[in-house]
Amino acid sequence: MKALATAALLVLVTGCGQGKAIFNVDIYSFMAGTGADTIPYVIAPASSGSVSTFSRVQLPPGFGSSVVDSVRITLGNANLMNSGGTGTVGFSIFFAPDSAGTMTAASALDIPPTTVSGSNTVPVAITGDLSPAIYSLFASDTLWMRIAATGNNPGVTPVTGTGVLTALVIRVVLQDKIL
Amino acid sequence: MRTAGIALTLAALVLVPRAADAQLSFDARRLGMGGVSLGRDGNARRYNPAYRAVKNLSGGGTGAPRITIPVPLGLYDFFREHPINQLTSDPAFNPDSAAFNPIELMNIVLNPPIFLDIRKPPTPTNNVEFTIGKNQLIMNLGQTRVLIPDHSFGFGTSGRLVDMGFGFGGFNLSVMGFVHYDLSFTLDSALRSVLKDTVPVRPDSSYFIITDAIAQTGLTPTLSYAGRIWRPATADSVPGQTGPNANADDGVYLGAAAHYYFGATYGRGVGPAGFTVGDPIFGNVPTVLFDGLVRTSNRPNGRGIGADVGIAWISGPFEVGIGANDIGAELTWSDTKIQRILYDPNGDSISTTMLSNHVETKTKLPISYIANAALRMGTGTTVGGDVFNAGRGTVIHVGAEQRWGPFAARGGVARDQRKKIQFGFGGGLRLGAFGLDVGIWTHSPSLSDQRAMTMATSISVY
Repeated sequence: MKALATAALLVLVTGCGQGKAIFNVDIYSFMAGTGADTIPYVIAPASSGSVSTFSRVQLPPGFGSSVVDSVRITLGNANLMNSGGTGTVGFSIFFAPDSAGTMTAASALDIPPTTVSGSNTVPVAITGDLSPAIYSLFASDTLWMRIAATGNNPGVTPVTGTGVLTALVIRVVLQDKIL
Repeated sequence: MRTAGIALTLAALVLVPRAADAQLSFDARRLGMGGVSLGRDGNARRYNPAYRAVKNLSGGGTGAPRITIPVPLGLYDFFREHPINQLTSDPAFNPDSAAFNPIELMNIVLNPPIFLDIRKPPTPTNNVEFTIGKNQLIMNLGQTRVLIPDHSFGFGTSGRLVDMGFGFGGFNLSVMGFVHYDLSFTLDSALRSVLKDTVPVRPDSSYFIITDAIAQTGLTPTLSYAGRIWRPATADSVPGQTGPNANADDGVYLGAAAHYYFGATYGRGVGPAGFTVGDPIFGNVPTVLFDGLVRTSNRPNGRGIGADVGIAWISGPFEVGIGANDIGAELTWSDTKIQRILYDPNGDSISTTMLSNHVETKTKLPISYIANAALRMGTGTTVGGDVFNAGRGTVIHVGAEQRWGPFAARGGVARDQRKKIQFGFGGGLRLGAFGLDVGIWTHSPSLSDQRAMTMATSISVY
């Protein structure tokens, strides 16, 4: 990792001066195949509930002095593969320095609930600017992300299914104070 | 601090090759002519042994001053921006500060702000963009991609430290110290493509820089001769040739020096340094790649011979010369060791293995050369030029000076070591034994293809 960090520094040094460092991090690529990209849900009748998946986000080192300009999910897609029942499922995304911290952190992005019904697959777009409150977390090289699926079942039969993430790219823009 | 150190080092690697020709001289006259020296001082005398037999022109016309004192207007500007009593807390020099920029700091180190910057070397302004995935890494350096060198880059020089001796007639016996160092880096094509052409990093691939560094120093007893080997019959009696440009110097001059080199110490290291990424790229920890061969002398026993030669022809207002140093200078070191320094990724350690000891190796000193010409017209106009190479690329200077009484106007062009054309112009006023000169020249010393412009001022004592 030292070599990669050094190589990254070589690149970053050449970019010193006024300007911005932009990172497009394909978080989904790190989650795919690990199970972290799926969120099975079972919502009992006349109730609501939430399930989460956790992921560690790794960024290049050396940005401790940087000022984060903006953080945005530029590409995010999920499929709600509902297998039964009728209700709604929404997503919230949380960031914290560690996994436990994501449980108490304020949400950085909320995706409004989407209606699911019967045996059907509903695509959901997950895009938008993240809350400025969590910008400073992106100046470190490691942070944790929690994606929570919050379901509501007003009906009399359980709502069951799986939320499957298919794309998630976060764009982090840093004011160029890399070192 | 370690990060800052790495950053400064890396910045140096990028900056130094571009700064090699940055500071030509402290003489505003010379800078105003694009770097050419119309006198018989400086490089001509240093690299062409024939010029040691030629009188330096001084006291008028295009003569070189006895002393040139730079007027450091740039220091006033620098210390106004960076008060000397606050340097320790100056954000520009504090790596922990948000205002710290290693590029600017390296620019200051490599281009001391002696003279006034009219147009400062621009610091790169750019956005850099990285695309990172588990099996994807793309670096888009934007405009700064032009800074990634296409060929080998580095810095070095071959110089003589002292020259002590005595002579009689045209002969001279002396002892000189010599030092030669050269550090060059070559990006392998894969790394260059990643940095320069935004080619994605490929899984299971290596990316590295090949380093080749050598340093050697020692003493060289020297027997030299410089003298006029041909003098025209009319040399002392051409009508109209009087004063400092008189033809009393006419003739052909020859200089030669034989050196016997006593090498005191040397070291050379060659090898790649980089990393190997896994498959997927961010699925495994990249492996450090470092594998160097290091040759070092065990004892101060380098031996070798070499020679300098030069010739100059002066005919009235015209003169031309050519000289070369360290011809055939190869040193044999009879007692050296060769070691391999290898990074072991398993133990996260560096191992040193002795491959052979007490073996003979050879090194060379680079040949330096200069060719110069000057034409002193009777109208106060002097034009001249030189081609110079001290072992790391050829520099060409062409310049002219026009004098009207106490006033002088100058101009010139140069092709620097980066093969980039630079310009100079200036003027001067001479009153008796003193002169005030101003020279403005362009240079490209920084991380930019744009030219910076600097104004030099100096006082000359004739």
